[in-house]
Amino acid sequence: MGKNENLYKPLKCELTKVIDETPLIKTFVLVPEKEFSFATGQFIEVTIDGLGEAPFTPSSSPLLKDQLEITVMKTGYVTDHMHTMKPGDVMGIRGPYGRGYPIEKFYDKEVLILGGGCGFAPIRSLLYNLIAISDKLRKVTLYYGSKTPEDCVYKPYIQELRNTPKIEVLRSVDQADENWTECVGVVTVLLDDVYMDIKNSVAVVCGPPIMMKCGTIKLLEMGYPEHDIFLSMEKNMSCGLGKCGHCMMGKYLVCKDGPVFTYYEIKDQPHIWN
Amino acid sequence: MNRIAIPKHEWDEKLHQLLSSFDLYAPVENDFSCDYVKLDADTVPEIVYNKPKPVTPLKKFFLPVKENVTARANGAHPVVILGAPNCDVMALAFLDQIYLDEEYYDPAYGARRDRTTIISSDCLGIQEHCHCTSYGIEPTGNEHSDLSMALLEEQVILTIFNKKGESFLEKLGLVVTIEPEKQLLEALQNKQQEVKQLLAKQNGKLPDYQETGKLVNGSGDEIWKKYASDCVSCGACSAICPTCSCFLLIDKPGFQKIRQLDTCQYPGFERVAGGEDALGPLPDRFRNRYMCKYVWKPQKYALKACTGCGRCIEACIGQINKNELLMELSN
Repeated sequence: MGKNENLYKPLKCELTKVIDETPLIKTFVLVPEKEFSFATGQFIEVTIDGLGEAPFTPSSSPLLKDQLEITVMKTGYVTDHMHTMKPGDVMGIRGPYGRGYPIEKFYDKEVLILGGGCGFAPIRSLLYNLIAISDKLRKVTLYYGSKTPEDCVYKPYIQELRNTPKIEVLRSVDQADENWTECVGVVTVLLDDVYMDIKNSVAVVCGPPIMMKCGTIKLLEMGYPEHDIFLSMEKNMSCGLGKCGHCMMGKYLVCKDGPVFTYYEIKDQPHIWN
Repeated sequence: MNRIAIPKHEWDEKLHQLLSSFDLYAPVENDFSCDYVKLDADTVPEIVYNKPKPVTPLKKFFLPVKENVTARANGAHPVVILGAPNCDVMALAFLDQIYLDEEYYDPAYGARRDRTTIISSDCLGIQEHCHCTSYGIEPTGNEHSDLSMALLEEQVILTIFNKKGESFLEKLGLVVTIEPEKQLLEALQNKQQEVKQLLAKQNGKLPDYQETGKLVNGSGDEIWKKYASDCVSCGACSAICPTCSCFLLIDKPGFQKIRQLDTCQYPGFERVAGGEDALGPLPDRFRNRYMCKYVWKPQKYALKACTGCGRCIEACIGQINKNELLMELSN
């Protein structure tokens, strides 16, 4: 960022499409007024004019420069308003910020991805990226959990993934309905019967705090080294610039030093799971 | 390092000349306290020399309580701040690490830093809660300011630390090659030594900065609950702290953003959408400020996050004495 650029001024984006994922989650397709790039796992600050700002990790492919998508759960002041927005409306974005997934560390590895709820958003961006370089990877397995079948996001994309070479998708729900044919139980149940070549594998976890905690404990029990578990942390990232202090997690500022950390990096810091 | 000495009345005349082209600020006594004022012809002779410390920390010149950070910065007069104590100068140097970092240079803060010349003050006395030397910070000016000044025997002794300081003196028409008399410098050094001895005597039992970090990090919950029972989360400690600089961004129509100083002492500082709050209970918030200054920031930044000014003790309406807490921890 140059000395003369204003760090705080958002780039305007037109909202071109709203996709209903679940009753509480929508995906917004945004077209920025000029090209915008990010690395998978980095986040952006989204401004609703005059109302507020909130951080989101784009859920779209980092290879696209002319549009991006964010998947948003209705859960607070800003997101409540976002859920009322329609195509043609304007949002602002700042960023991208922070340290994303270190994709090069995944080369020649099997990638285990554990996701829950709206935590699929950064994972979908990661999957687009991994699929684009799948010749450099052994295999990618996605373990995804949600509360009910109705709460599963990206349903068409899941079908697409299931037809993609080197990708395996396993899902679970806490409470099934009569049409659900996949696993029932919290997402970590899916890991009970997994055989992975752990020495040649890395794990990625993203989801609600309790899922991140239980998932990490499970992966450690399975034998994953602490530095091979990659966590996408959620804190109150407000400025995105490492200045405002709201996302402090011990010695780290999540907006700048993260949001992606290895478990090894953060295990001794306070409040990592809330 | 060049030094010059100039008779006080001549120095005052020089400052008078500057009033039309610079905004000058310096500590001046009023009925209740000593604080920075914008100088005019009447107040130049009233500048307070050698005395720690203005009520307000130096950060107020660079981080206003509230400002529009998306507005275009207006051109402004060059600014000269006289009489900043070294605890504040070192605190400003700490803030530079955050606001002038290479990746995200803050334009508003940076513009103010660029147009400001800082003339630090040698403290030739101490106040009740001053404890800079306990944290390895000298009570005299250093190269983090542009110049330093001290008043002794009706002579203003100026020490020049850099080009900005040098060019300031050139604007005043002062020649920097005239050395002050040896006796005057010796007298100054003696005074400086006396001040250090007074500080050592006042704060003999206070743990140093590194030790404080160990104590704060290793302590149990009880002491924090005890001291936090007198805390009302007013945030005065952070507002008056020269290194506290956390802020909120408030959105206004037209994609404008207002930066307003904030503090981890307020409820909800770390709360995320959905309600999770890593710093919920008051004792956790209270302790967080100490963890931030003595444990976490030292792992991230080279300069110290507490410079021992003692203002947080003076500002606390719950009469919480940080140094008493730290001494209790060390016992």
